[in-house]
Amino acid sequence: FYESFRKKKSPVRILVTGGSGLLGKAIEHVVTKQGGARDGEEWIFLSSKDANLTDLAQTRAIFEKHRPTHVIHLAAKVGGLYLHMKENLQFWRDNIRINDNVLHTAHEMNINRVVSCLSSCIFPDKTTYPIDETMIHNGPPHESNYGYSYAKRMIDVQNRGYRSQYGRKYTAVIPTNVFGPYDNFNKENGHVLSALINKTHTAKVEGSPLQVWGSGKPLRQFIYSLDIARLIIWVLREYEEVSPIILSVGEDDEISIKEAVEKIAETLEFKGEIVYDTTKSDGQIKKTASNAKLRSLLPDFEFTPFPQALKETCDWFLNNYDIARR
Amino acid sequence: SARLSSSPPPPSSSSSPSSPSSPAQMDSNNTQSPVRILVTGGSGLLGKAIEHVVTKQGGARDGEEWIFLSSKDANLTDLAQTRAIFEKHRPTHVIHLAAKVGGLYLHMKENLQFWRDNIRINDNVLHTAHEMNINRVVSCLSSCIFPDKTTYPIDETMIHNGPPHESNYGYSYAKRMIDVQNRGYRSQYGRKYTAVIPTNVFGPYDNFNKENGHVLSALINKTHTAKVEGSPLQVWGSGKPLRQFIYSLDIARLIIWVLREYEEVSPIILSVGEDDEISIKEAVEKIAETLEFKGEIVYDTTKSDGQIKKTASNAKLRSLLPDFEFTPFPQALKETCDWFLNNYDIARR
Repeated sequence: FYESFRKKKSPVRILVTGGSGLLGKAIEHVVTKQGGARDGEEWIFLSSKDANLTDLAQTRAIFEKHRPTHVIHLAAKVGGLYLHMKENLQFWRDNIRINDNVLHTAHEMNINRVVSCLSSCIFPDKTTYPIDETMIHNGPPHESNYGYSYAKRMIDVQNRGYRSQYGRKYTAVIPTNVFGPYDNFNKENGHVLSALINKTHTAKVEGSPLQVWGSGKPLRQFIYSLDIARLIIWVLREYEEVSPIILSVGEDDEISIKEAVEKIAETLEFKGEIVYDTTKSDGQIKKTASNAKLRSLLPDFEFTPFPQALKETCDWFLNNYDIARR
Repeated sequence: SARLSSSPPPPSSSSSPSSPSSPAQMDSNNTQSPVRILVTGGSGLLGKAIEHVVTKQGGARDGEEWIFLSSKDANLTDLAQTRAIFEKHRPTHVIHLAAKVGGLYLHMKENLQFWRDNIRINDNVLHTAHEMNINRVVSCLSSCIFPDKTTYPIDETMIHNGPPHESNYGYSYAKRMIDVQNRGYRSQYGRKYTAVIPTNVFGPYDNFNKENGHVLSALINKTHTAKVEGSPLQVWGSGKPLRQFIYSLDIARLIIWVLREYEEVSPIILSVGEDDEISIKEAVEKIAETLEFKGEIVYDTTKSDGQIKKTASNAKLRSLLPDFEFTPFPQALKETCDWFLNNYDIARR
């Protein structure tokens, strides 16, 4: 399908919604700095400054302005654990609205390829492990973020509708826990590793103990944003199924929050006391996902080793402290 | 909308329009709080049944105003129209029945539209109700939305436990999401929004269209035509699927009870018991008997059956309302057939 565009020498314009976020910036980096773009491709990165995607008119206006041929849809209302627990209704409503505006506008403009982004946190809470792509609707998600989770799951429902009725090749990826430059490092709302990097840095600067929320026991498969970016670009070009695909390191690379905390402390050379506040919620204890489908399609893909990825992220945070979202 | 113009106006009271009575208590003795119940989808199968119970069977209480909306009054996929109709009537309670609905074959062709339209309708109604400080909304799900791969009997805890049947996944997911949204409003704002889950409903005012109608209604219409034309009755599918059929007037009485008395955010199944499940074939034969059709009955097994079984438990209902008496199926079927024959010209066909 992608090749047919090149042969006809049609313009290829790839619109990335949520382009200023963690994944969007990673894709931009791969495309502009690491040779990820091909000749004749135009890549457009949108942020919320360009359009409020909960508003249909604004969504249409920005699509009409750029007239993309492909869309990577990353934009969402996102947050850390504690924000989700407080605002499930808003996470549900805003994300349903954003996703419908983007998917239906793409359809109305005859765009045949949209790759959306789900998340491993949307899987059923009560489940067997490892989790795989066939399981996403097999039970309620974790109570802490059910609004966000259901809204994301419904992307898959909508994709199937467009595929079976109109032949649109809309699909989705499911990253596990992503980290990297340009994340939201806010100590309360940020993703876990980013929040910890910020808290550790502050603790070091202030000479105070590092307070970690939760027990440290939850296990996660952390994946570097630049690896996800390369994989999403591959999915856009090569992945044919309507079923989503998990993008993750292998099950053997799962680590506990406590191990991550200690690695961050080592990377930032924090030598103070680390305290685990067990009165705070842990969220899901385990989310072990299978990357077997990815491995069957891309057996030779090499993930950036965690220590290196963590170091690059910490370096970015320190060098960009003033502009980092904190 | 079918306003109950013959009802006496609510007792005069000091004006307190934005403080409805406590959600599940519709205290008709309290002259301070007007009770206005807005029924969306009021011209449909369930809406008409509620209207009948309320206006003809003494189902309304003193001081209650019941307003029945249809799509002529507002297109609920449009937010502005939804807001306008809510602002016009300023309800204190809502029974939300409006939806894009259809029979098996329409669903299979248009899952995307069933998903999008129903998500839009439900969000417009629920969020407008919330913005207008309405504390009580009872929405309507359906037993067809349960997981396809499941154990039986199905109960209220299971609705999200797996994908629904492939034939109507768009409609099913949209309906399931009412439950998600209800929980959000309850936990963040204390709104007493909840939902009911009827099994297969039938009765007067249904859509009797032979292709798009619900199964019993479509069969009543087809049997009538076959009798009049002297042709065989063609039944789509094998006749083997099993269903718990429930009369619309029974559902209506139960929904009114839920509006007044049911406190949980979890949905409640409204159904006859598991022992009252019958096959499509038994239903076909009962309809033929009721309409006195004596011709040949042919089962076209090339046509899809839909779900083979949907057996639902009514244990929660029975624990709360142990003495409720359902209308016996032969009587309910006869009343429905009589209505169809007497209203043939206006029936949706």
